[in-house]
Amino acid sequence: MAKVGLFLGCITPLRYPGIESSTIDVLEALGVEAKILQGTSCCPAPGVFRSFDQEVWRALGARNLALAEEQGVEILNICNGCFGSLSESSHQLREDPKKLEKVNNILSQIGKKYNGTAKVRHFAEFLYRDVGLENIAKRVKNKQDHLKVAVHYGCHFLKPRMLKEIDDPERPKILDELVEVTGAKSIPYKDKQMCCGAGGGVRARTKDVAQKMTIQKMENINEVGANVIVDVCPFCHLQFDQGQEEVETKVPVLHLSQLYVLAFGLPKERMGVEAHAIPVNF
Amino acid sequence: MDVAEEGSETGVEREEEEPRIGVYVCHCGLNIAGSVDVEAVSAYAAGLPGVVLSKDYRYSCSDPGQEMMKEDIQKHALNRLVVASCSPRLHEPTFRAMAEEAGMNRYLVEMANIREHCSWVHLYDKEGGTEKAKELVRMAVAKARLLEAQVEKKVPVLRKTAVIGAGVAGIQAALDLADSGYKVHLIEKDVSIGGRMAQIDKTFPTMDCSICILAPKMSEVGRHPNVEVLTCAEVKSVSGYVGNFVITIKKKARFVNKNCTACGDCSTACPVAVPNEFDLGLASRKAIYTPFAQAVPSTYAVDIVTCLNDGPVLACEKCIEACDVEDCIDFNARDETIDLEVGTIIVATGASTFDPKVLEEYGYGKYPNVLTTLEFERLINAGGPSGGHLIRPSDLEPPKNVAFIQCIGSRTEKDGNPYCSNICCMETIKDALLIKEHWPDTEIDVYYMDIRAFGKGFEDLYKRARSLGVRFIRGIPAEALHLEGDDVRLIGENTLLSEIYDEEYDMVILSVGIEPREDSEVVQRLFNLSKTADGFFMESHPKLLPVDTPTKGVFLAGCAESPKDIKDSVTQACAAASRANILMAKGEVTVEAITPMYVEDNCNGCGLCVKVCPYNAIELIGKKPNQKIKIIEAACTGCGTCGAECKFEGLIMRHFTDEQIVAQIDGALDENPEGKILAFCCNWCSYAGADFAGVSRMQYPSNVRIIKTMCSGRVSENFVRRGFEKRAGAVLVSGCHLQDCHYINANYQTKKRVEKLWKEMEKLGLDTNRLQLDWFTAAEGQKFADKIGEMKEIVEKVDPKEIDKAAETFKPKKKKRKQ
Amino acid sequence: MSEEGEPKLVNPEFTKEVIKRGADTITLCFQCATCTGGCPSGRITAFRTRKLMRRVQLGFKEDVLPSDELWLCTTCMTCDERCPRGVKITDIIMTLRNMAVEEGHMAEAHKRTAGMLIKTGHAIPMGDKFRELRKTLKLDEVPPTVLCDPKLYEDVVKIMKATEFDKLIGERIDG
Repeated sequence: MAKVGLFLGCITPLRYPGIESSTIDVLEALGVEAKILQGTSCCPAPGVFRSFDQEVWRALGARNLALAEEQGVEILNICNGCFGSLSESSHQLREDPKKLEKVNNILSQIGKKYNGTAKVRHFAEFLYRDVGLENIAKRVKNKQDHLKVAVHYGCHFLKPRMLKEIDDPERPKILDELVEVTGAKSIPYKDKQMCCGAGGGVRARTKDVAQKMTIQKMENINEVGANVIVDVCPFCHLQFDQGQEEVETKVPVLHLSQLYVLAFGLPKERMGVEAHAIPVNF
Repeated sequence: MDVAEEGSETGVEREEEEPRIGVYVCHCGLNIAGSVDVEAVSAYAAGLPGVVLSKDYRYSCSDPGQEMMKEDIQKHALNRLVVASCSPRLHEPTFRAMAEEAGMNRYLVEMANIREHCSWVHLYDKEGGTEKAKELVRMAVAKARLLEAQVEKKVPVLRKTAVIGAGVAGIQAALDLADSGYKVHLIEKDVSIGGRMAQIDKTFPTMDCSICILAPKMSEVGRHPNVEVLTCAEVKSVSGYVGNFVITIKKKARFVNKNCTACGDCSTACPVAVPNEFDLGLASRKAIYTPFAQAVPSTYAVDIVTCLNDGPVLACEKCIEACDVEDCIDFNARDETIDLEVGTIIVATGASTFDPKVLEEYGYGKYPNVLTTLEFERLINAGGPSGGHLIRPSDLEPPKNVAFIQCIGSRTEKDGNPYCSNICCMETIKDALLIKEHWPDTEIDVYYMDIRAFGKGFEDLYKRARSLGVRFIRGIPAEALHLEGDDVRLIGENTLLSEIYDEEYDMVILSVGIEPREDSEVVQRLFNLSKTADGFFMESHPKLLPVDTPTKGVFLAGCAESPKDIKDSVTQACAAASRANILMAKGEVTVEAITPMYVEDNCNGCGLCVKVCPYNAIELIGKKPNQKIKIIEAACTGCGTCGAECKFEGLIMRHFTDEQIVAQIDGALDENPEGKILAFCCNWCSYAGADFAGVSRMQYPSNVRIIKTMCSGRVSENFVRRGFEKRAGAVLVSGCHLQDCHYINANYQTKKRVEKLWKEMEKLGLDTNRLQLDWFTAAEGQKFADKIGEMKEIVEKVDPKEIDKAAETFKPKKKKRKQ
Repeated sequence: MSEEGEPKLVNPEFTKEVIKRGADTITLCFQCATCTGGCPSGRITAFRTRKLMRRVQLGFKEDVLPSDELWLCTTCMTCDERCPRGVKITDIIMTLRNMAVEEGHMAEAHKRTAGMLIKTGHAIPMGDKFRELRKTLKLDEVPPTVLCDPKLYEDVVKIMKATEFDKLIGERIDG
């Protein structure tokens, strides 16, 4: 199994630190050699910063990638945004020597160099491919069969398909399988693959538009009677957790790592659900 | 350096008259003159050794152009001609015929391809293009000085033909040729002839019943005295050449013989039911069956794969018991292998439809009421599973509203094919009309991007559909969602209103495109065909030889060549039959005089040539040490692989002699050789691919110099060594893709030789990167252009010391020359 | 934007500039609208991905760069996946947004987010509430990112200076 460095990003450590502690505990329980990747900055966020200026987006991304290279680890992301950003920037730097050269000119000012070799991974994809459903199943102590889960993949986890090569973004099953291994039931719902609404700087700029999309998703989720939303991205997580104000039936939100804390019987207090706007009472 | 002297160093002494060469540099309007300074090229040519006359002319191929050349031949006593114009693949026959009329042997004409290989690919580099044109002319003149007159042989053409595939195109071609008096073998893989047209309900734009107009043709061809219909038959191998092909077919056992009265009692009794392929699995058939009522032959057939019996070991005799005719069903029947000798071949193997399962967003294969247009044809066909009543699969109820989605799997760079499939717009319009005519209250929406109603009577049909209330909505649905009750919801943008639509339908029909058959590669190899980038078989010329193939005597008809409707398929079949008729009516055909000349004195009977000949056209005779060879002219196709293999100058390839090719190499590398790419291209694929790059105006660097051989197998190791000796920056050896060689497998020899050279270079400490080997189909113009771009970088990076070293290494060791 | 009925100002240089910046697939769009149909934003707003592509093809710069629509895309990439022509729609939108920002079209809220990156190296601030929560969770009170070491933050600032991001955004904040 590859050695991984956990990439924190922004929302996880600064809004939902429970995702950070849950991930650490879950990886440890699964026997994964994981350390937090030290000294990173914002990935930087694909929706906002890439929209503003791709030069700085690539350069800051390259710094993060270089840190992983230095520390000899694959970058493990618990956020679709970070995963999307770093996958895309590392792809561009691998494919385009001119961009890499330009970025390295900048990195040389801080005594760093990126060689283009960093491997960018996603927590869920890592669990599925490197750890395997069987090994996860072995760790499940508390069957979560009371959970009727609305699985939310988010966008940057699987798309672009050609770059990520994880699952078919139209009808994926990887996350459903990762959820159902805990005994929980993944319930199909309308427009399941639809965006949460937050990405692309839309939440920051036009919150009402983001809200409308979330409400649409919530209508579909409530229609099938799900009692929890499971995601793999703290930004989608935040959008669902804080975007249900106007929704009558509020559905609590769990990051996959938090679901695994429950299923593995790990210390619940490390889930950090105090940070959640919608109470989690599982 | 005097090129002529260089040439004579390599071998045979010339005893002929002094060459008097006329050079004609064609403007081709502005096609050449637009990016090449033709006057400068002509002036340059005038100074080349052996050239007594050099002119530039607006259209060399025009009648006045040809007349001028004829006069010049007489007036200036020209004995060689160099025409610098388009690809020899286009106009070499024109200029050869002209020369012949003027009393000059047709083999004394050489062409410099300054259009496809120069002006069109260096549109924005007039200087580089002009320079290249001059050198291409210099190379052609160098070869022309050494050209020799040749006499062509004639071979007989058998007055028999084989038509492969018995869809409407195959049937038509077979009928035309049979009516002209030739024996026709019509070979069909399925149990009945008829093809796709038999599956379709009505035809556009006339709304004729498809099977009603096809069935008479089917029975006509079935009982025609000149036609032998071979069903359940597949071609296994093809050998021979124009006029004299041998096709080996495997005819699978039918297990029911001609005594069958098609009463159907056996089928009723048969206990095995499987999905009926003819109805695309929408209905079932038995293991003993006939696919449809009008099948020809009407004889039933046993599908032995699903039958409970395994050959003569009988586990079930229900069919035999039910049959009233004695010895009609015979499980002792065996597959047969049949050899057919024919003069011409027509390939009419048809096409498949796109399988929309990969487009997950439309749910085909998952939602029961999402169908393809071909499935719809069966559903609305009176002979189909629903007896012609339009019902939807989920609840067998007639749909109240139906949506068609166009361009499924067509015009896409992703899942599907990049081309427009030609027929789908009209098929949908016809299908919509069929529904409207039977069930006028059905609401029909057609989601489209562009409606292409270009043919005769098509626009009328389109108008009729609109007048009957079919709605045409511009904007392809982004997705189909499955609703309760198996309805389907479509969401997308109506682009003309910029509004989002979100509509529910009882039934959604995907208008799927046409694509090459899965087994088209097998067919391609069997008949030595080429494919265009879209995967369909390539015609010899897209405008002027639309049904010929690069293999002489083999013609194309129907959808195997490209997606087309019934009328076009029939038209093309008539054309193919007519082309085959021309060959067979004449009864003989001349073959190019490019076979090897045997120099017995030089031959030591080593037999290497025998081993590499793909056609077994060389035989060893006598016993060692007096062993010699014999060339079987009729079997030889002139690929030149033997000539390249012979180390003793025992075989001289007519019109592609060593000394002629060396003269071209030297001509190419006379000036600034370090900056040049020397490329060897085979006539059928890689040279044609470079032509294609030209026709498509794909731009690439101007430092490449192409030498044409018939096959890459002609490229002797010594040619490559000569290139490096003369300081070429890089050398490219290219041919057809390995499995697609026009000379069976001669290009494996090419591969072997280049690999040997790489090893040799490695041993000598030379940069092997400078010798490249690549394969191009005639349609891979872009690949060719990219390759030259890639090789330009190699040339630019190569160390001058490396060039010195290679030049020194490959200098031929001094050997005593025969006096 | 031009008034109804008035001819639009066409700027072919705009299209060329977009292509030059790597968005060369824009020319392949044939307006099938598969993009708009699957766009979650388009279902609730007036945003029409297809029209945006068309406007870029035609050089309607003034309809594109200052528009609010440009910022309604959530970068969910559904359109990219389904586009039959292989148009890299999201990449094109990114390019257009970069150009818009250069021309001074940037929302206040986005300026604030950008300012946060400049100030801290992260996209969002560290609140006291979360420091406390981190402590309760037995995590480092300050996450071990650029936040924990001013020297590391300086590195990030250097990168932002070298790419002139500070200038790009600073001007926006000041102006």
